[in-house]
This record gives sequence, structure tokens and C-alpha cells, in this order.
Amino acid sequence: MNASESRATAHAAPPDFSVKHFSRTFARIGGLLLTVALVMAVFSIISGGLFLVPDNLLGLLRYMSTLAIIGFGLTTVLIVGEIDLSFANLYGLSAMMTAVAWLNWGWPVWAAILLSLVVALLVGLFNAFFTTVVGIPSFIATLGSSTLIFGVTLLISGAQRFAPASPPTGKTVDPGEVDFFRSLSNGQLPFGIPMQVIWMIGIAAIFWVLLNLSLFGFRLKAIGGNETAARYARLPVRRYKFYAFMIVAVVTAIAALLDFSFIGSAQPGAGQALLFPAFAAVVIGGASLSGGQGSVIGTLLGALLLAIIANGLALLAAGPFVQQMFLGVVTIGAVVLDRFSRNWGKVR
Amino acid sequence: MSAALISTLGVSISGLVKRYGDTVALDGLDLDVSAGTIHGIAGPNGAGKSTLIKILASEVQPDAGAIKVCGEKWTSDSGLHQIAVVHQEAELFPNLTVGENLLVGREGTLGRPQTGPREHEVLEEMGLTRYRDMLLGDLPLGLQQRTEIGRALVRNADVFLFDEPNSALTAEESEELFVQMREFADSGRTVLFVTHRIEELASVADTVTVIVDGRCCTTITREDISPQRIARELVFGAVQHERNAPSEIVLAGDAVRVEQWTHAQQKFQDISMHVSNGEVVAVVGVEGSGGRELVQSMVGLEHTSGQSSIEDYSQVEFVAADRSESLFSNLTVAENLYLRQDRRIRNRFGMLRFAETNRLASQARADFGVKAASLSVPVRSLSGGNQQKVAIASALAVDPSLLVVEEPTRGVDVSSKAEIYHLLHEYARGGGAVLLYCTENSEAFDVADRAVVVSSGRIVGSIDVRTIPDVETLAEQITVLEAKQL
Repeated sequence: MNASESRATAHAAPPDFSVKHFSRTFARIGGLLLTVALVMAVFSIISGGLFLVPDNLLGLLRYMSTLAIIGFGLTTVLIVGEIDLSFANLYGLSAMMTAVAWLNWGWPVWAAILLSLVVALLVGLFNAFFTTVVGIPSFIATLGSSTLIFGVTLLISGAQRFAPASPPTGKTVDPGEVDFFRSLSNGQLPFGIPMQVIWMIGIAAIFWVLLNLSLFGFRLKAIGGNETAARYARLPVRRYKFYAFMIVAVVTAIAALLDFSFIGSAQPGAGQALLFPAFAAVVIGGASLSGGQGSVIGTLLGALLLAIIANGLALLAAGPFVQQMFLGVVTIGAVVLDRFSRNWGKVR
Repeated sequence: MSAALISTLGVSISGLVKRYGDTVALDGLDLDVSAGTIHGIAGPNGAGKSTLIKILASEVQPDAGAIKVCGEKWTSDSGLHQIAVVHQEAELFPNLTVGENLLVGREGTLGRPQTGPREHEVLEEMGLTRYRDMLLGDLPLGLQQRTEIGRALVRNADVFLFDEPNSALTAEESEELFVQMREFADSGRTVLFVTHRIEELASVADTVTVIVDGRCCTTITREDISPQRIARELVFGAVQHERNAPSEIVLAGDAVRVEQWTHAQQKFQDISMHVSNGEVVAVVGVEGSGGRELVQSMVGLEHTSGQSSIEDYSQVEFVAADRSESLFSNLTVAENLYLRQDRRIRNRFGMLRFAETNRLASQARADFGVKAASLSVPVRSLSGGNQQKVAIASALAVDPSLLVVEEPTRGVDVSSKAEIYHLLHEYARGGGAVLLYCTENSEAFDVADRAVVVSSGRIVGSIDVRTIPDVETLAEQITVLEAKQL
């Protein structure tokens, strides 16, 4: 590869820059931005400006980061035409795996983190194996593995909560390691911007390049759009599905570890409350449940919207019950939106 | 029309029109079918047969036209006269017993329905009595189909429409079915029989109507029916193209050769054939003949035993008949065009080279005459003919050692057809090898250098198409070869 070639690559326009495609994508993104602005305005007014207090906004950004980081992986799985329901419990397992290995077994913290990532990869392999090799629909396969994962989490943790600040009786933790682990999500940043936001931006950039500029992303979209045609065109369908399931598992582990680092404690079922918000964020962001569609920017905005809604409702002291109801409505609404937008696409 | 004639008219269709968008499926179809006869219907793919069946089965509504059954106006919801459609695979409830299948939809009151005298009568008539309490899904297809017919009988259907009823049946089961059809006709019912198998049509039907371009083009009566005659009418209606002039073909070694090639599920057995570089070979055979599986097996898509000269399938490309299986509707025209060229479109870091992809797509569009407003419009926005050109172009663009295409011009307009034939021809003349699966004789005539005729899973003959003067002759020869096998 020489200089002229890479220059040509740099100057060439990315695909899909027709007016029609442009307008359709941007209609969705524009619509999302508008919704975000509207919901923010409503919450600001109802809460009497409380919503706009910097501390509140920063907390909101942190929650958004968790949703978005997992959401990028989820987007990848949806693009290839599969679904993963096991991420919520994998979130719990990932944090717990590190906590147990580090605090209970006395592993160095870096090894404990590595262990979590390896376990996540194995979970991805497991899901992919049963989906693509055995041929079970991923909905069922990952629903099953989700429960299995939760069981493992309870087993290794003894259903206990772990915190580096108060290690289990009889165990000691190197304070230097505690500091290091805390620093993963508690760096000093201007305006008190949470470190997790930086992680989110970095991971978003990687996913953006992967999905928009790489052969991988292109083929992922093709496979999800028409699996039969992909097989006939000799695309590596099965291998790409393996990649997708492993990717969502690893980013889930990263999100879980960052939250563990920030909150300072790990609980077995901590991720279960993320299942629907993360899903809703991705679908609102334009990923199609029938495969072949999804975008990083969309998922980012979807995560922002979901975070605003969760934060706003909490601020209004709506209580967890109302929040649950609202989440249900939003999730169904997102799927309905997905259905309609697909039909709009079909009518010419 | 005299009173006597009206009374014997089973079904009378006049001016039936059905459009799907810009496509006219039925273009003022007129058809009279006498009660007490078996009336065969033939027609090339896309002629409107399946639309006619769907209308009679009440699956779609016609845009215009009238249908009368036994002299009375018929609509799908009038409930006056029942039209029973018997499909190639019974559309019933495999999880219920034969008896329960007869009752579904007629339960009426609360409580578990019981088979009554009428049901027993029908079970007896169809020879199903001893299967009454067996699960339908456990029975062979022939019995499932009889159950479907029985279901129509208990509803007192007047008209029976058999839609490719025996393509999945054994020869024995087929014979039984034909006897059944004859009995229905003799008892004064109206029997319509739609099939691709010309020989069966000729031997079973009293009258045969050939549908072309959404109209009935000819009706052949008993004394004139012969497979050859039907074959001629089928291609006669088809629009004739400028045939590619028989240029000199230079054969340069085998692109593929198979010996003792046998399908894992016996769709074809013990096939020996080859395709040389420089020629277009068409495997010709009706649906269910094994021809489709044969060409798919050549690119490694079917489980087979035997020897093939191809070990590495990465050099062969396949284009499926159905565009929903060959194109990516969520991608643009350009993306569909360069999708198969993975080595050229990525750099060593696995990133797409957009300059190269754009160039490849533009080149493919120019080389293969794809008419698209822009390369970045969704592929589904193109016309059917241009979509098909994209599908074939994306495979040809990688310069495969063997190109396999199923029904290359199914559902494609006339001018695109000629262009696609030209593309395939050019590719072979340039030293490539092309293998096609054709269900239409006219297609084989237009594009192939050699036709390999497949019937009941075996090769029954090979025809040098370039020496055949016209499509009627080719159709006749193919029919003769197919008849030999039966």
C-alpha cells in the first residue's frame, strides 16, 4: 500500500451519501435530537430547573455511558440479525468475577479484570455456538444462557455484595490496587465530567470506524440484511455471528467493570435493571430487530434519551414503580417505531 | 349462449384483471370450464397462473372481471359455491388427527366436535377411514393431500382446483390422485388441473388452456392434445428475441466435471456431466425434476456423493432464482455490486477502500448495463430487470471460473431478458463457463449452447441447441426426451 492509495482512501466519500439516504438517516437522527431537546425542556420546566443542575447532568451522562457502551455491542448483534438477552446477567457476572477473584481469591487486580474479560468472551462463544452451530434461535439461546449466567454469579459470590473498601473478613486488599481500580472511572477531568464519558467516546469511535469504514461492518450489515443471499455469496456468516456475540459480551464486561469501579461495590443482579433500557436505547436509535440496520450515532442518542427519561423521572420523585411502567411503554413504543419505519421504507 | 351450454358450465371467468403496481399479472383473462371435465391449465412462469389460482382460492381480490360458478355470480365471500384448492403440500394442521382436520372450522358449538355421518362418508370415499385417529403429520404426503381433498368434500365443494398437486408425490400416489380427479369429473364436478408437467397434462386433461401474458392464448380440445402440441403453444406465446448469432465457440477444458453425482436425498442420481470453459450449458427440467438441486450441487450447496472436479468452491459463483435470495435489499446498488469482491475492496487493515469500491461499482454498472439513477440508491428501488442485472453482475464481476445461475430471467421484462442473455453469452465467449437451470424452453433456446434435459432425477438427453432452428423444435425435442423417462 503506498501513499497515493491511502490518500485516495482518505479523500473518497464514504458510501450512502445520496440525497435520499442522507435525508432518511438524518430524519431519524434529527427526530431523535428533537425528542431529546423536547424531553429535556419538559423535565427542566416541571422540575423547576433542578434538572439542569450540573451535578444532575453529569450523573445522567454517567448512566448514559453504561447504556451506550453496552448498546454498541447490542447494535452489532442486531445488525447481524441476532439478539442477545444475556448481557444483563453477564453484567452482574463480569463485576462479580473480578470482585471475587480480586477480593476473595487474592488475585492481582489486573488478573482479575483479565479473567472477567476472558469469561465474557467465553459467554459470547457459548451464545454464538448454540445460535449458529446448534441452530437454536438466539432469543431462546441467550434467554437460557442468561439464567445460567445468573446462577453462576450467585454461586461464586454466595449471593453476597463485594466492595474493595470493605474486603471480606480475613482478607486484605492492597490500597494501591484499590486506588488503581477506582481510577478507572474516577479520573480528574475538567468540569467534573465523569471518566466513563471518555470511555464511551473512545468506544463509540472504535465502533463507528468498525461499522462504517471496515469490511467487517459492511459484511455484518449484508449478513443481517439477507442471510440466505450472504451464504450464496460465500460471506462468512457463521464466523461473523461469533464475532458479534463476542463483541457484545466484551463491551458488557467493560461497562460492568467501569460501573463497579465507580460505585465501589458489585452485586450479583446489578445488571438486570439494564436489560430494557439498553434494548430500548438501541431500537430507538434505529437498529432493526430484523437485522441489517443500526448505527453508532443512533444508539448514542437513544442512550441519551433513555438516560434523560430515567433521570427526569427519578428527579420528579416518580418512584421506581412509575419508572418501570414508563420503561415498558418506551420499549414497546420503540419496537412499534421500528416496525413502522420499516414499512415506510418498503412503500415507494 | 344456449341454456344447455350454461347448465354445463362449471366455471366461467370473463375479463379478469389483476395488477401488482406496474406489473400486469392478469390482463383480461377469459376462461370457460365445463362441468364434468378435467380442464388443464398450462403457462410459462409469470404468465399469471399463480395469480389466477390465488384469486380462485380467495387469497387475493381481482381488480376487475367476473367469475361465475355453475351459472351464478361468485365472489370469495358469497359462500354460495365452494372452490377447493388442493396444493402440492397440504395446508392443514399436522398436529391434529385426520378426523379433526375434517372438522376444523366447522365445529359450530361448544364441546369437542365429533365426526358425524357426513365425515364418515367422506373418510370412506377417500379411503381414509383407518387413518381417522392418526396425527396428520405422521402420514405420508399422499394421505395428507387426500385429507385436504376430503376437507373440501365435506364442505360440498363444486369446483376442485389442483395446483401442481403431485410434484411431491410418488408415481403410485400420483396415479391414485389422477383416478380421484377423474371420479370427481365423472360425478359432474368441475376439475381444474394446473401443472408444469406437460405429459401428465396431455394424458389426464380433457381440455387444455395455455395462459400467456395474463390471457388465455389457446384452448386445445381432447382430440388435439399431445405433449408436443402443448409445448409448441407454450413457447409460441412467448415473445421471441433476437437470438444471439451462433458464433464459433472455443471450448478450452472443463470448468467442472462430475461423475456418479448423487444427491443425499436422491433428488438426482448417478449424474455424469461437465461444463467446458467457453460454453453456456442449460440444465432443463420442470420443478421437481432434480435440475434445481443439480445446479446448486455444482457450487457445493447440496449434500452429494460422487466425484466433482471442483474441490475449492471459492472460484465459483452462484445466483439464486429468487431475487430475495440473491440481493441485499438493505444495501445500495453499489454495495450489492461490489459485495463479492472482498479482496479488492479492503486494504490490509481490513478497512474499506471507498475510492476502489466506487470505481468497481461504476465499472460494473457500465459493463453490465445496469440502469440506476444513482449507485447509492437502495437496490430495491430498481426495476425487476435491473435488479436481476445487479445480481448477475455482482457474481460476474469477480470473474469466476464457473458461474451458476438459476432461472436467469425469471420475472424480468423482455428487453432486460435480451440484455441478460447477452451478458451470459459474452462471458462464455470470453472463456468463462456458465451453467444455468431453466424451466422455460424459450430461455434455454435463447441463451444456451447446450441443453441437458433432466427428468425424475436423471439426465435423459443432451441437445446441441446451436443446431436447433427454432424454439418450437427445441420444445418438442425436450418433451420427447422427458417422455422417454416416464
